[in-house]
Amino acid sequence: MSIFTPGLVHTPVTPFTSDKRIDFDRFAKLIEFHLCNGAESLAVPMHAGESVSLTDGEQQALLESTIRQIRGRVPVIAHVSDSGTAIAAARASRAEAAGASAIVATTPYYWSTTLPMIVEHFAQIASAVHIPFFVYYSPDEMGAPKFNTDLVLKLIDRIENLAGLVDASQDWQFMISMILHVKRKRSDFQLLTGVEYMVSAGAVGATSLFSPLSGVAPVLVKRLYDLCRLERYFEARKPQEEISALRQVFKKEGAAGLKGAMRAMGRDCGEPRRPLLALDAAAYEKIASTLAAMPCLKDEPRGW
Amino acid sequence: MSIILKGVMQSTVTPLKENFALDTPTFERLLDFHVRTGATAISWPHHKGESLNLTMAERKHFAEVAVKVVAGRVPVSIHVSSLAVEDSMMLARHARQIGADAIIAITPYFWRPSPEALYDYFVNLGTSVDLPLIVYNSPHQLGTEITGDLIRRLIERLPNLVAMKEASFISEKFVEISRVVHAAKPSFSMIAGVEFLAPSAPLGCVGSYSAAGAICPNLCTQLFDACISGQSVRARDLQYKMIRLWDLFRDQYPSSLKGGMVLMGRPVGPTRPPLPTASRERQAFIAAELKDLGILETEPHGW
Repeated sequence: MSIFTPGLVHTPVTPFTSDKRIDFDRFAKLIEFHLCNGAESLAVPMHAGESVSLTDGEQQALLESTIRQIRGRVPVIAHVSDSGTAIAAARASRAEAAGASAIVATTPYYWSTTLPMIVEHFAQIASAVHIPFFVYYSPDEMGAPKFNTDLVLKLIDRIENLAGLVDASQDWQFMISMILHVKRKRSDFQLLTGVEYMVSAGAVGATSLFSPLSGVAPVLVKRLYDLCRLERYFEARKPQEEISALRQVFKKEGAAGLKGAMRAMGRDCGEPRRPLLALDAAAYEKIASTLAAMPCLKDEPRGW
Repeated sequence: MSIILKGVMQSTVTPLKENFALDTPTFERLLDFHVRTGATAISWPHHKGESLNLTMAERKHFAEVAVKVVAGRVPVSIHVSSLAVEDSMMLARHARQIGADAIIAITPYFWRPSPEALYDYFVNLGTSVDLPLIVYNSPHQLGTEITGDLIRRLIERLPNLVAMKEASFISEKFVEISRVVHAAKPSFSMIAGVEFLAPSAPLGCVGSYSAAGAICPNLCTQLFDACISGQSVRARDLQYKMIRLWDLFRDQYPSSLKGGMVLMGRPVGPTRPPLPTASRERQAFIAAELKDLGILETEPHGW
């Protein structure tokens, strides 16, 4: 299998109309925005895109819409996570047929899982396709058992098309130990960081970045990514701290906060779907006024 | 009242005789070994020094030995955390009396205090003695953490709060604390809990405490030099080497470390229960790993 390096991966939100249908016109505009602002790959629909609140059919439609809009300009990674292994595997298979360049999936939603169950879950999803498969590890969001190096070595043994691990644990011990041992067995295995904390992850071997904040501050995200890829980590400290400060502004509000920040930057993508609640006016105003006062956002595009 | 903290600082293990009593002559040799082999500071007794398995009298005795043996060659910090806060306060006063250079304290054990209770604890401790205070953040072990907001408030309240031992080893936690403290107090020292220097040095970390320094002081110094000078490829390679030692020693910490020290010609005796003492089989495994890593040829043997 040829090596697919995702690079700087933008993970767009999913725009909704006022009656909470997917706003495909707005989504096409959003895809163009990401392409013009540094995306080397797109991953849809990640949790930032409210994947969990989309029906199976909607996820497929969104993926197909993305691939049509992009017309091969950058690779598209399909996020297929679900509770049921067979559901996720079927989604992966359809994504490949639709033209996705790679698949990404996280641990099953809701179920209490063990590490052997997780191996089996990923193995079945990955074996449903012939394109690269990435594991997304996000223990804080998912509540799954903590991964260790042995688990990833087992995944390597079982999954021929396992191309890498997207890490949102940000756990230095896990990342360093895992990548050291796994690369000995599969030298082209990739460590990717699933949040914009790339200085530490890059310093210990991460080479790609999945960026939920790319819709808000693509210039800053690209500055951080470019410096890290050049291994200029000391210079990357400033954009790293700026992105961290930006993330704290709306982190607590989750997907609603991210959409609020998008709106404050002139890229209104509507409100999140239930069960998430929209920001109230005061919460939105607080985010908007905080972002307006942040010097690190002065170079960022406003509007589309 | 000032202290400069940087580089790889050694928190020494606690040498014990076969009957588990304190082994003072070996402790003196160990302190001297660390200072001679590049330790930029000494700190005792961290958990690696079995702090919670020592009586208050023993902690005071070895604190005195540490200050006396190091004799101003590098700064000496005393870890004062105890189950009872009254004991911590007493050890802090004692550290001041014997001429230690700083005290270090983790968030209180067991209770999982609220942020307000943590603030209250550290303010009480920090105002009780005129010594520099290093706070120790270990959210995984204690279920409570020092956030950026809390440390900023503490810095505003405590002029003697000079540093943090940060042991979350999580990027966002480190960045947020580092960002906030350096805005509030540029001279504040961020110190990694163990030798995770490649991921932290570019973010303003000035050094680390050490898990493996009693085994491989040369590697500690090489890693720090590579990380702090931005040699990213070399730093990563050395960090990969160091993680193998951390993985080796954090299993049954510090028993495995003490087992490894036997192999390096620096025996420091058993580990007090409930912690196990490294068995012969465990020592054989450690020996094989140290050999594979080339530690036996590149690091000092004996005292």
